Amino acid sequence: MESEVQRAEMLLAPTMAFKKVQMADKYPKGQSRGRQWKHLRFLLQAADATSLPPDRPNYLNIQSPPSIYPPKRYCDVTGFEAPYVDPRTKLRYADPEVFKQIRNLPDEYVQRYLALRNAAVVLR
Amino acid sequence: MTPVYRPPRETDFARFPASTPIVIDNGASTFRIGWAGEAEPRLAFRNIVQRPRHRSSGETVTVIGDADPALMKYFDCTRTSIRSPFDDDVVFQFEYMEYILDYGFDRLGATSEVDHPILMTECECNPSFSRARMSELLFETYGVPSVAFGIDDAFSYKYNQKLGNCGEDGLAISCEFGTCHVVPFLKGQPVLGACCRTNVGGSHITDFLRQLLSLKYPYHAASVSWDKAEELKKEHCYVAHDYMSELQIFKNNKEEAEEKTRYWQLPWVPPPKDEPPSEEELARKAAIKEKSGQRLRDMAAAKRSQKIEGLEKKLSELEDIMEQLDDSDEIEETAILSRTGYLSQQEVKSDILKVTQSLRKAKGESNGNEENADASGADKYPLVSVPDEMLTPEQLKEKKKQILLKTTTEGRIRAKQRRAEEAALREKQEEERRTENPELYFDELRARYLELSEKVDQRKRQKVNGNNNSSGAVGRGERLNAAQKERMRLLTTAAFDRGKGEDTFGMRDEDWLVYNKMSKENEEDNDGDDDESELARIASKIQEVDPTFVNQHEAAEPAADPHKVRPLTAEDFKIAIGTERFRCPEVLFQPGMIGVDQAGIDEMVSISLRRLVEDESVKERLCQSILVTGGSSLFPGMIPRLEAGIRQFRPYLTPLKLVRASDPILDAWRGAAAFAASREFARQTFTLEDYREHGESLFHRYNIVYTL
Repeated sequence: MESEVQRAEMLLAPTMAFKKVQMADKYPKGQSRGRQWKHLRFLLQAADATSLPPDRPNYLNIQSPPSIYPPKRYCDVTGFEAPYVDPRTKLRYADPEVFKQIRNLPDEYVQRYLALRNAAVVLR
Repeated sequence: MTPVYRPPRETDFARFPASTPIVIDNGASTFRIGWAGEAEPRLAFRNIVQRPRHRSSGETVTVIGDADPALMKYFDCTRTSIRSPFDDDVVFQFEYMEYILDYGFDRLGATSEVDHPILMTECECNPSFSRARMSELLFETYGVPSVAFGIDDAFSYKYNQKLGNCGEDGLAISCEFGTCHVVPFLKGQPVLGACCRTNVGGSHITDFLRQLLSLKYPYHAASVSWDKAEELKKEHCYVAHDYMSELQIFKNNKEEAEEKTRYWQLPWVPPPKDEPPSEEELARKAAIKEKSGQRLRDMAAAKRSQKIEGLEKKLSELEDIMEQLDDSDEIEETAILSRTGYLSQQEVKSDILKVTQSLRKAKGESNGNEENADASGADKYPLVSVPDEMLTPEQLKEKKKQILLKTTTEGRIRAKQRRAEEAALREKQEEERRTENPELYFDELRARYLELSEKVDQRKRQKVNGNNNSSGAVGRGERLNAAQKERMRLLTTAAFDRGKGEDTFGMRDEDWLVYNKMSKENEEDNDGDDDESELARIASKIQEVDPTFVNQHEAAEPAADPHKVRPLTAEDFKIAIGTERFRCPEVLFQPGMIGVDQAGIDEMVSISLRRLVEDESVKERLCQSILVTGGSSLFPGMIPRLEAGIRQFRPYLTPLKLVRASDPILDAWRGAAAFAASREFARQTFTLEDYREHGESLFHRYNIVYTL
């Protein structure tokens, strides 16, 4: 290790004297850690929802419902109010200038703009 | 201010008795750890883990929190990313959590064991799964004697209640890193059944800003990192009091918008300028050019003299032969001819002629033939003036041809003259009109100029891209210009037009013009040239009157070059942050903007009150003590906007009071530290034995009682 790295104490020591179980023992090297955690959130929410009575507050049921206001539509590029939707790219736009701009956008950027409001086409 | 990347290790860990709790505010953005009863946390760092590979040794190392970018060069981060133990506001990656706790306890100065009770914050209604894993980790890995969990917003509210900012009954609006919460408090305790959460927070604002800027400036996408966006957000973003009117300002009022726009200048070094070469340089270059030119000229001269020499030699040889031939009789002649390889005397003669001609050419004299070519017009048509009776039939034919040629040329000359006369006449008329009414005349000229230039422009456009279809397809049809396309169309219709009813082609004279259009030579129409020359004439006339007039046609020509690359300026490295300043924080109020179909924070208050099964008088009391806390509530304009938003959901003229927490970021830790120092704390904790006995079900009912 470089001396400046050592001096900066930027790295976490692999073993800690105050721990009862060291990191290396818990997660042995080269062993798969089990990548199930990607869906863990859903599993956990499902577990909570079934094991708990619905009248008691839990992580799931304290979520806010959708807004009572009708959703406003904003231009995907400029952020201004958007009365129009481009039928080809599905982007919302505020005026003809933005329209010209979005028609020249490469598809990747169109998808990125759509992804901003969670409307991108997701290929599974 | 230079950020402190590595906080020093605390040294007084051993000084604290085993009963003193350690207080941890485990926030999604920042991890804060310190001792109960103290005013400030000992340590705060970003709640992230990186596991890069050390470049020289190849081992995987662990870096917690922000690291000095200057030192990160020793590590290869390409195969790892920044990890957080959180998803929204729930801890669910306990491996990373363990690294973070390791680091926290280590920096706090723990040496042999962490033998202190722990108070850790969590989100509202933390899933029991997460609580169980967290307590397991604390008990089994660190040997902690007892643990308590509490809600960070509740601690913040209690702390501010102690300071007198809010009452016993009230509401806490908390805008955090991953989520926003509204929690009602009754008699000093949070009512979890009535709280609500929207999954939008500060991280979404930062991400939105980063995405918007990198989409707006694709060339600078690499410069807009997460950290930079976070910095820009903290420095420039604000909450608009009325989002729609703020948008209108930016849309219609350019001056005010300009005032509100911030610029971020990226580092930019101007490219070295091409200095005009010095006199010496120019002289040197000229000398080199001259030298090489001289050499070429010398070479050419040498070659020429060589050629002349050769030709002269050949000529003298041939002349010798001729002399010999002239002097000798037939038998000798054939002998000479066969010796020299010629067939006849004629051939030798023609050869001599050829050689003399090329000799002349080589010597730079003009060719004799050229002089003959320029015969005068009179004897071009010698037969025209000869009466028919004197001519043979062949000559008659020739005469007819000549008459035809003559009349056409004469006609051409006459037309030319007529045109010149017309032009002169027009000139004269114009001159008259000009002297009569100069202003009207000038206006007319201008109008005509505009009209013509429009026409010429259009023609040019048609020529260049007769079909500018946006599909960008490049089939054969797409490559033709408009005139060529028209021609193709005519040809195909002509080819397939047979047998469709009665053929009326040729009934009118105009029909034949179609061949004009079809012929290829006609592609560059003379029409356009006429227009262009007319345009040039008018432009020069206008220029006579008005010297400031710029002929757009000539001026526009050089700019039309599309391949010329504009040199980059500092302006190109400037990032404007205009509407983004208030557009990004707006996601807290309108989560729909980033595709989250939930209510915004102002509406959440009404949802929370609706969920609260209490009298209207109680709700009114709650609304007089609303505390706004959390790191994302620090945007300027937050409180007035929230107040206006909440007022819309409340009955007319009901009192409303909003207070910002004394320190929206640190209050949760301070409240927790105060709570942990109180005598009540020991009764709120649970131990490893409790956990072993009840298991996960312990957490279904686990809620601490918050005290001041």
